[in-house]
Amino acid sequence: MEEKAIDYFRKYESIIPDFERFLASLLTPQPYWLRVNTLKISTQKLIERLLQKGFVLEQFGNLNAYKIIEKPVKHPGATLEYSLGYYYIQDLSSMAPVLALNPSNEDTVLDMAAAPGSKTTMMAELMRNEGLIVANDINFNRIKSLAGNIERLGITDVILTQKDARVASFGLKFSKILLDAPCSGEGVYRKNPWGFKGVDERQHRYLGMQQMRMLKNASNHLEEGGIIVYSTCTYHPYENESVVKYAIEKLNLAPIKVKIPIPHIVGVDRWKDETYEFHEDCIRIYPHMVDTGGMFIAVLAKE
Amino acid sequence: MERFGISREILEKYTFFERGRKIWAFSGKYLEIGDIELIGIKALTKGRVLKPSTAFLRIVGKRASKNVIRLNYEEMLLFMKGEDIERSFPVEPGYVIVVWEEDVLGCGFYKNGVLKSQIPSKYRMQDSWI
Repeated sequence: MEEKAIDYFRKYESIIPDFERFLASLLTPQPYWLRVNTLKISTQKLIERLLQKGFVLEQFGNLNAYKIIEKPVKHPGATLEYSLGYYYIQDLSSMAPVLALNPSNEDTVLDMAAAPGSKTTMMAELMRNEGLIVANDINFNRIKSLAGNIERLGITDVILTQKDARVASFGLKFSKILLDAPCSGEGVYRKNPWGFKGVDERQHRYLGMQQMRMLKNASNHLEEGGIIVYSTCTYHPYENESVVKYAIEKLNLAPIKVKIPIPHIVGVDRWKDETYEFHEDCIRIYPHMVDTGGMFIAVLAKE
Repeated sequence: MERFGISREILEKYTFFERGRKIWAFSGKYLEIGDIELIGIKALTKGRVLKPSTAFLRIVGKRASKNVIRLNYEEMLLFMKGEDIERSFPVEPGYVIVVWEEDVLGCGFYKNGVLKSQIPSKYRMQDSWI
């Protein structure tokens, strides 16, 4: 299975720097990361409690992000503190799109493909349970898991909807939109190598087209001066830079360069017959950079 | 929330929406959106008396001044596993807020010297948990 995976990811040799290290990272299990739910407990109190229970944690910079180095239980959620909603298991790379969006309690935010809710709940925490988040997902079972996480974390500024993000009307315009689009999921390979199903070029193209439809609908729901964060957890440029290119050329959105405090590189400048002049405004996070999953992020503004 | 002595000021930040037998608490800026699945979190269920949800009590329960039961460590473990606790507590019969040290554990039902855990199964501790 490992050989099959390595063969699959070989197609990215020309765009992923330090490629052998990237391949090696795929063969090591992805560590868990946690985020303290500061709506319910102070960081200091929670970390003290988990350390007392035998967890070994490593904070990443000044971020509310802790790598779990050692845990005294099989699953990091098997604690009283988790049941009480004091923390959320969330990969560092998954925090990046929210940091790029930087929501405040003045914002009206649409999270177009929200389940299971790691980014929704992180946004609510940054917004201190004020403002408004409309969290949407097309799948009922995924909505249930989103609702469960919202309830456990004590999030009260979220409205949940079950709509098709490609065509649905949400009835109003938003100051900030997160489109963490459904994708081929190559960046989460390390989390679940057994469940990973790669896709071929034709399927990457198809997914890219669906993502463009979602982005077009997102653009229709964005206020003047508002921003969209487009993100995926996959590597293929057809699902990333090509979608951003479409947004710039067809939707008149403008890419914005943002800084996030997580190591990353810029987007790719070409793939096959396509070139991406704006690639320096895109963000790519790879698993061998800080021991996380993979992520692509672009910030787009309506001017 | 009068039963728990939770002041109006604490609750003022929430708008309460009634849907069927359930009442939902929402602290955001309400804007008209069609086809809502859920808004905020479930706060109360209507019945013969109003039953507060564990999720909502975990948010506002720290501000309660009455009908609060404080457990010791062993009792907390039993309560969080969904088990009954037989002990007399100085509270009125009915729904109570159950607390261990600084943690609001959630909703219990107290009657005739028995505290019944109302913790939903999804939040219950298992033997392998710490």
